[in-house]
Amino acid sequence: MSDPTVAESWVAAPLTRLKDDARLISGVLLYPSGRAVGQFGFSNAADVMSICALTSAINASARELGRQLDGKPFYEMHHAGVERQVFMARASAGTQEFLFVGVFDRESSFGVVEIYFAEFQQALERLHPEKQPAGVGLAGDFEGELDRSLDALFGPIGKR
Amino acid sequence: MKALSQVVATLSHVPGVVAAMVVGATDGLIVETSPVMGGAAGSRDPRKHTAALAAYLYSKVTRASDAARLGTPAFMRLEAERGHIFVVGARDVVLVTIVTTDANLGRVRLEMMNEARDNS
Repeated sequence: MSDPTVAESWVAAPLTRLKDDARLISGVLLYPSGRAVGQFGFSNAADVMSICALTSAINASARELGRQLDGKPFYEMHHAGVERQVFMARASAGTQEFLFVGVFDRESSFGVVEIYFAEFQQALERLHPEKQPAGVGLAGDFEGELDRSLDALFGPIGKR
Repeated sequence: MKALSQVVATLSHVPGVVAAMVVGATDGLIVETSPVMGGAAGSRDPRKHTAALAAYLYSKVTRASDAARLGTPAFMRLEAERGHIFVVGARDVVLVTIVTTDANLGRVRLEMMNEARDNS
């Protein structure tokens, strides 16, 4: 299993630990705007781009759905497929919010992923730098932000 | 078949059982649990972590047992410095207990095996 590639170095250690402890096959950490912060298990930038866009949209929909149904946003989602399962959740570090999506199979379980995600969340809180990278979370230049984060993870187009 | 709340109540009344849980065998989530006996106020609740990891461990033990051509494991006991974790499989769930060092281990084992048999 490959080590995470990250756009921000401080998330590398927590992501590696989450991957190993929870025995995840793949995962992406991103900002709610869809900008990728780190990933593991993917070798293709287009896959990460799709996952970021979809996760961002699913998160927005789930929050609104939660508000409509339960009066408060839904922050966590789990889908159990026949072979593989998807776990999606919100994490925060200081005032900055992140989304995480991870895939696992029978080598792990939802309960195990949940407990190690809680530890991952604590590590983000502990390690996040005071100063956030410029432009984080802004929805204005979605495509540009996404391209820049993918360049950081996989190298510029043409070299990927 | 007994109600799961009754299974948990029976096991939690065995002397030395700190907590008894019925846990999903594949997802490791707690289905039914007893309160933690003698847990200090403000101390971390051990049940969620124990349930998830014990169910996970039991699934690995099942594979090891199968690889060794021993069949399905009947009972799993993890002995630690300050107590034990017991796990028994019962169809789609596993019964998990956290047990003190001074407990009557034979009695805890017997009760768990009986409950597992009644729920299989």
